Amino acid sequence: MSSNTSIKEKYPAGDFAVWIIIYIELITFAMLFLGYAFSRRADVELFNQSQLMLNQTSGFINTIILITSSYFVAKAVEVVKNMDEDNYKEFNKKASKWLIFALMCGATFLIVKITEFSHIFGEGINLSTNKFFMFYLLLTGFHFMHVMLGSIILFNIFMKTRKFGYTPTDTIGIESGASYWHMVDLLWIVLFPLIYIIR
Amino acid sequence: MKKNLEIIWIILIILTVFAYLLGYLNYIDSALVGILLLTTFIKGALVIEHFMGLKDVELKYRIVPTVWLGFVLSAISFAYYF
Repeated sequence: MSSNTSIKEKYPAGDFAVWIIIYIELITFAMLFLGYAFSRRADVELFNQSQLMLNQTSGFINTIILITSSYFVAKAVEVVKNMDEDNYKEFNKKASKWLIFALMCGATFLIVKITEFSHIFGEGINLSTNKFFMFYLLLTGFHFMHVMLGSIILFNIFMKTRKFGYTPTDTIGIESGASYWHMVDLLWIVLFPLIYIIR
Repeated sequence: MKKNLEIIWIILIILTVFAYLLGYLNYIDSALVGILLLTTFIKGALVIEHFMGLKDVELKYRIVPTVWLGFVLSAISFAYYF
């Protein structure tokens, strides 16, 4: 996030290894998204009927939660990228406040999703019920695990800010974790209309 | 510039409410699916450019997630319409 917008950074923010992981995750999810879309094309009626069993409102709430958490994480990164040697402790503290909000959003997402899963499993639905629910459980279950991992990463970043661990010359950890979290948000932004809305 | 992230967040929320209302009010039809996918592209691009911060990075890295998003949504459109 350079202040001079005409000069571009050579590499994306964070550790380059995280970006390799992000690209791999994007390709993996793309295959699942396309698997869903083309399977739906082969049996539109089954997919439309099965989709009626999903709770669109919980999908909507979770989208709002993830977008908001991404905003909080972006604010935390903005704070640490603007610190200098004189104020880095104060700025670590500010960043930790944004991160605690993001962590609360992550936890809320998981609770909403667990509630949705318990309803679905309570109806006796599983991976072999039909193709729609196979994709639904694979996509949302896989994404759920990414939110869990992302929350653990954010928690570690939060703990480091509490110890004033980020300095003007060392922000790579928070930038890497933030990039991963935004990827989790990006995946849900595609997943929500595809699974919950389009019919 | 200071309020940039706030503006992006508000746009993302508005587009999400739009998507939800289409589904909730059962307004979704084949024409609106195209608009829904377009708004999904805008949302994803905003996250990539502003939250991930790729708008400040050289094009070769910036373009990868945007191309991914465009490809995925185009393929979903193809599967829906053809």
